Amino acid sequence: MPVLLDPEDTETRALHDYADFTGKHVLEIGCGDGRLTWRYADRAACVVAIDPVADDIALALEDCPAGLRHQIEFCVARLEDLDFPPEKFDLALLSWSL
Amino acid sequence: MVHALEKIHTLLKPDGILLDIHPTNEPAALAVRLREQLIPAGWIHESDDYVEYEWADEALQRSVDTGRFKLERTGTFDFIWHADSMADLRIYLAEEWKDASIDDVTAMRIEELLKLPVQDKEILVSEAIRIARYRRT
Repeated sequence: MPVLLDPEDTETRALHDYADFTGKHVLEIGCGDGRLTWRYADRAACVVAIDPVADDIALALEDCPAGLRHQIEFCVARLEDLDFPPEKFDLALLSWSL
Repeated sequence: MVHALEKIHTLLKPDGILLDIHPTNEPAALAVRLREQLIPAGWIHESDDYVEYEWADEALQRSVDTGRFKLERTGTFDFIWHADSMADLRIYLAEEWKDASIDDVTAMRIEELLKLPVQDKEILVSEAIRIARYRRT
């Protein structure tokens, strides 16, 4: 049986205790396979979630809940390569990636 | 890391929030749960002794010291993994945490505990995770 990560949802509670994602434009750096993204994206206005590992992004795209697909843009990218205009995001999430 | 934080600073709106989540440099603890009883079994070792997490802390502190971000709140929480067997745990580590290892003594101790005639049992890994909120200044 696969390893279960945080079935207690401790990380989700901490995430929402520390930040209000409601209506926010979010940049998630190091999103991996989307494990953390699913825990807040439903509240955000939109999410750009990046990771340099193409296999992880492929998994994230495959597993993305249908209701969130219009809200999340997954990209295979490194932070330094992003070409967004300045001051685009309300919230940046460094998820286990600094 | 310093360059990454500078890039984040540029991309955030004035007054924007940076939320950082990363493990502390405390080794992840291994335990076996037998019904309600929690038996400590050892630690997960990482080949570079968790040094990258110290670097992350230093980079964040530097960004505060230079006035790029203001630390608003920080804390920790325990992130728990649940595994049914050492085999499952080793597979997960091989796929997701290649720097990590469990020494043979710890592995044997866990295997022996799992052999006990208890129905409700599992391996627990507990990582101490730091979470912090910074505001762009």
